[in-house]
Amino acid sequence: MDQVVFESVHKVFRHRPALFNWLGWERRGESVALRDVSFSVSEGEVLVLLGPNGSGKTTMLKLTSTMLLPDEGSVRVAGFDTARDGGSVRRSIGIAVATERSFFPRLSARENLDFFATLDEVPPSERNRRIDEVLAGTALEEQADTLVMKFSSGMYQRLGIARALVKHPTVLLLDEPTRSLDAGSTAHFWTMLRSLARQRTTILLATHNFAEAVSIGDRLLLLQKGEILAQRSIGSGESFEELRSFYFRSTGEVDEAAPLSMRSGGTL
Amino acid sequence: MTSVVRKLYAILRRDLLTAIRHRSGFALTFIGLLAQLTAFYCLSHAIGPSFRPNGVEYFPFLLVGTGLYTFFVMSTQAFLSTVQEAQQTGTMEVLMTTSTPPGELVILSSISAFAGNLVNLTVYLVAGVAVFRAAVHVNVVACLAVMFLSLAIALALGIAAATVQIAFQKGSALLWLMSSGLWFLSGAMFPVESLPGPLEVLAHLTPFNYAVQGMRSALLQGQSVFDLSSTLAALAGFSLLLLPLALGGLSFSMKRARQNGTLSFY
Repeated sequence: MDQVVFESVHKVFRHRPALFNWLGWERRGESVALRDVSFSVSEGEVLVLLGPNGSGKTTMLKLTSTMLLPDEGSVRVAGFDTARDGGSVRRSIGIAVATERSFFPRLSARENLDFFATLDEVPPSERNRRIDEVLAGTALEEQADTLVMKFSSGMYQRLGIARALVKHPTVLLLDEPTRSLDAGSTAHFWTMLRSLARQRTTILLATHNFAEAVSIGDRLLLLQKGEILAQRSIGSGESFEELRSFYFRSTGEVDEAAPLSMRSGGTL
Repeated sequence: MTSVVRKLYAILRRDLLTAIRHRSGFALTFIGLLAQLTAFYCLSHAIGPSFRPNGVEYFPFLLVGTGLYTFFVMSTQAFLSTVQEAQQTGTMEVLMTTSTPPGELVILSSISAFAGNLVNLTVYLVAGVAVFRAAVHVNVVACLAVMFLSLAIALALGIAAATVQIAFQKGSALLWLMSSGLWFLSGAMFPVESLPGPLEVLAHLTPFNYAVQGMRSALLQGQSVFDLSSTLAALAGFSLLLLPLALGGLSFSMKRARQNGTLSFY
């Protein structure tokens, strides 16, 4: 069964100048975030939304999580329409947002997780066990009782992932989840994601990091300026080099491996 | 424990821990309360014992009036701050994706904001009686009835401020209206009967005057629920009008913010 379905979704952000903006330069306008986007994600699949800044990745995650509602078309999660049955959708999803500091700074990591787990209606008998489990899974056991105001960026990011996982969601939404993680934590996180997918968790991950996308995705959705440029299944026979070349050529992005290859013939 | 009670406990615990861990702020709140009481005590002494508004001494009159009106303003401010902080730190969007319906979350959060200020109000009144010897003659049932309806009105005001904040990012405008624009209509510091005619009419169109007057009658003059029936009816009327309006406004502004992508704008 498809866990996430986008059907002809159109999303426009309209900018309205502030009231009494007679002296300012702010003007009315609009920007198209998504243009007639359709795709679906099946149970246990890892779909990576890959594209440069402003391509619509975060908008797609926000539409899936009910933070945003579509202007046209529909978004369904676990069979529920996000506009008509937001409550059922929210019970199915876990989201790790790109905003690192979305926690209560004067609560510890454990207290923050306990708070969000309560709002997510995790049964009290399971709450402590699940919190210990996700703290261990994100290597935050030693910082469990530290106030999060003392956390580094990477620790915030790991706590965000832990928060998304504590409710055991059927659909996991991740917005650039490894942006502030070191190489070891990133590798550990990728392994954890593959393990979750094997347990039938559906994962939507937004990133502009090509290496990350091909390392963990079952399928890539290449995005540019709110449109789907192409879809590619990992392991479909296409080599990574062909895929890389296609992506960077289509989006006009700078290939992060290019500067390295330029230096490979020289000396440091 | 039902799910709602568990959530309310979690929110109360979060706010209490945050308040306690802001050590200096926690202490300053109580120092501020005592300083305010001292100022009003001195003011009532300066005016002299001959001024007895509504038949009670001026200091107890001020004590109840300013205590309850401050409760309204500070509760709305506390709730508004919670919403603004959630928008600024990014917790707003995450909270709105939890399994708890947004309306339920807002009401539970506002109850928490009011609980802290209810403690402040109790400390303020007890200190006024114990330290500054304010004369009281309490009818407990009437006090609880007035307080219950005042809480419903405070809840509506808090939700209205959150609505204005989410819709226009200017919840502070409602707070300004309450703290600076309307306070003289509340009867907190002098009887509204001493206002010019049109302003007195205006004062009777706001709920504050009824709450303040009702609490004074119950706390200082020992009037019963029966004696206060018309005041309680007016407060109930305001609650029945303001609460659905505020909840409807919040639901509309949340949906609009989700449509426009402005949920976390501040």
